[in-house]
Amino acid sequence: MNRMIIDGLAFALPLFIMAVGGIYSEQSGITNLALEGFQGVGAFTGALFVIMSADVLKPGSLPQILLAFAAAMAGGAVYSLLHALLCIRFRANMVISGIVINILAMAVTAYLTKQLNPLLTGAPSDKFQLGVSMRITIPVLSNIPVLGVVFKDLYLFEIWIVLLAVIAWFILYKSRFGLRLRACGDHPQAVDAAGVRVERIRLWAVLVSGALSGFAGMCFAYSISASFSSAIYAGYGYLAIAAMIFGNWKILPALGACLLFGFARSGGNEIVLLLQMPGAYADLVMILPYLLTLLLLVFFSGNNQAPRALGEVYEKGKR
Amino acid sequence: MKKGKHLIQRGLILLLGNEKTQPITLPLFAVFLSLLLGMVIIAVTGANPVNAYQNLLQGCGILPKPSYAAYKNSFTDFTGFLNAWTPMLFASLAVAVALKAGMFNIGVSGQMLISGFMASILAGYADGLSGLTAKFLVLLVGIAVGMLSGGLVGWLKYRFRVNEVVSTIMLNYILLYAVSFCIHMWYINPVSRQSAPVTQASRLTLLDVSAGGMKIDIPLGILLAIGIAFLLRFLLNRTTFGFEIRAAGKSPEAARYAGMQVGKNMVLAMMLSGALSGLAGVTYYLGYFGSIRPKVLPAVGFDAIAVALLGNSNPAGVILSSFLISILEKGNTYMSSRSGVPGEIASVITGILLLVSACTGYIRYRINRLKECGPNTEEKGRKGRRGEQSV
Repeated sequence: MNRMIIDGLAFALPLFIMAVGGIYSEQSGITNLALEGFQGVGAFTGALFVIMSADVLKPGSLPQILLAFAAAMAGGAVYSLLHALLCIRFRANMVISGIVINILAMAVTAYLTKQLNPLLTGAPSDKFQLGVSMRITIPVLSNIPVLGVVFKDLYLFEIWIVLLAVIAWFILYKSRFGLRLRACGDHPQAVDAAGVRVERIRLWAVLVSGALSGFAGMCFAYSISASFSSAIYAGYGYLAIAAMIFGNWKILPALGACLLFGFARSGGNEIVLLLQMPGAYADLVMILPYLLTLLLLVFFSGNNQAPRALGEVYEKGKR
Repeated sequence: MKKGKHLIQRGLILLLGNEKTQPITLPLFAVFLSLLLGMVIIAVTGANPVNAYQNLLQGCGILPKPSYAAYKNSFTDFTGFLNAWTPMLFASLAVAVALKAGMFNIGVSGQMLISGFMASILAGYADGLSGLTAKFLVLLVGIAVGMLSGGLVGWLKYRFRVNEVVSTIMLNYILLYAVSFCIHMWYINPVSRQSAPVTQASRLTLLDVSAGGMKIDIPLGILLAIGIAFLLRFLLNRTTFGFEIRAAGKSPEAARYAGMQVGKNMVLAMMLSGALSGLAGVTYYLGYFGSIRPKVLPAVGFDAIAVALLGNSNPAGVILSSFLISILEKGNTYMSSRSGVPGEIASVITGILLLVSACTGYIRYRINRLKECGPNTEEKGRKGRRGEQSV
């Protein structure tokens, strides 16, 4: 039971922060299917930083982990500029742009990993080995009966995610920038009439989604896979999008959806272990989060209210 | 310097300015631009880009190689290329049909997988079937299963308003793990770690046919694929059904107002798209390969999105664009062995090609602007645009 909560949280929180990024982008009116690509590129830059700094910083030390996450956020943000360029400046179809960006991310990072590995590590390989990020247990809180398990064996990044999410929530719902951002997704003409540049706000929103997705990608690279390879493109980005839609483009409900996915997955794994089923049954468990998503979407899509100007290129002259 | 810029602008207007030929010239321009970028990337890695492209064509049997293994020549290479092209063409047509109806079928990979798997277990492993019956059964099962899985997506969208992009992606993963589970449980070949190979009778590609001293693989599906592409062109452009699908894709509200049943057309279009994915699946798993690798979605299904976009979701255009992308994908093994360029470069070039073709709308917009204002007044035109838009 404890294992299930610990593993479930470690999977759900990165998903959640990625969904928050998606909410920023889509609340500003930019459809964002590119989360998958952003998280992959973020994980790639983070992993690249870890490999390149191996001589200077102690592997697995706090400064290295911190800087690796910073690098991942920067990588995701820079790559997300491409999506912003296509959607805002080039007026491309946003769905197409997102898919293209995912395909390109997969191709480019796989190619670069293969090219750079012999140069950096001296061994031909298609993955960067990372190891697992350190885990901590918060002393007093973890002794609380029942609920204490939430504070046990935490990855460092889980704490940072909670901090980031609180900041993101505050900015989106309580600040002037957040109000304008949400208005861009509902009625961009009104924002423009108020004298604010719609394109600029949308650009910032996409950048935030890129940075947060990059962070999430690095979490997956540092925990589940303990390496960077093209296996990082396992559809986490799409799960985050599903969580966002299921959460009606709001931050707190999206957290609920992510927790559901996380616990479905870890619970399934636990059952396979408990009943000592053959390895093939692990595949059945993997189905759970996706199946759950689909079923939930079937039940809740009808009532959902997407941002009204979602996916529309903003044109000043349009009424 | 300034003069040079004007010259380029004039050239671009001359080449791409004609609005009637733009549906053809713009994709060609996109291809040209991305192949050029690809050459730069190959040159950066230290190889000769011209040689590398030549090797791509040689690997597909379009140019002769310097030497051949026994029983092989450029014709056998070419049929091998056709073998790889067939599923790509079907898959791209599947994406194109859905796009015409205004939907993104990202689930081609999953639909291919489930169709290939069902065809394998229902017809591929059956002993004692004659070649013709087995092949017919394989096609039938492929079409039926594909149609069901595609129709499900359409129905979910029509009935429950589930976004088809998300539902197809979820279905991809569900099918991927479900099929992988079944293969691991019942159909695994312990040596190859793949599903057990299907019978020769059910293979849609005739293997190692001896003719003229050569051993040739004959992909039967390619004739069907090209035939269906033209049939589809007729269906979309010349029939009421095709018109209604396109109307629903362009503007669902207008179509509804005109009295068309948009929901029904959406489901039908997705069923058609699924059936084509099914054909792609059987030609991939029971033609090109003879078995299924568990836990892998065929990349063809995703590349097909690119191909359909590049071909303007027009069946004839898709034939050309899928031909091109297949050359990149099929020829890269030979290229990497000959000139040492890593094979992944092919997917990078495909990615760039996609990126550029996603921008063709913008390129068209800029070219038409340039033409209206004239190359010398471009700066003025740009300023004018702001004024004009704020009216």
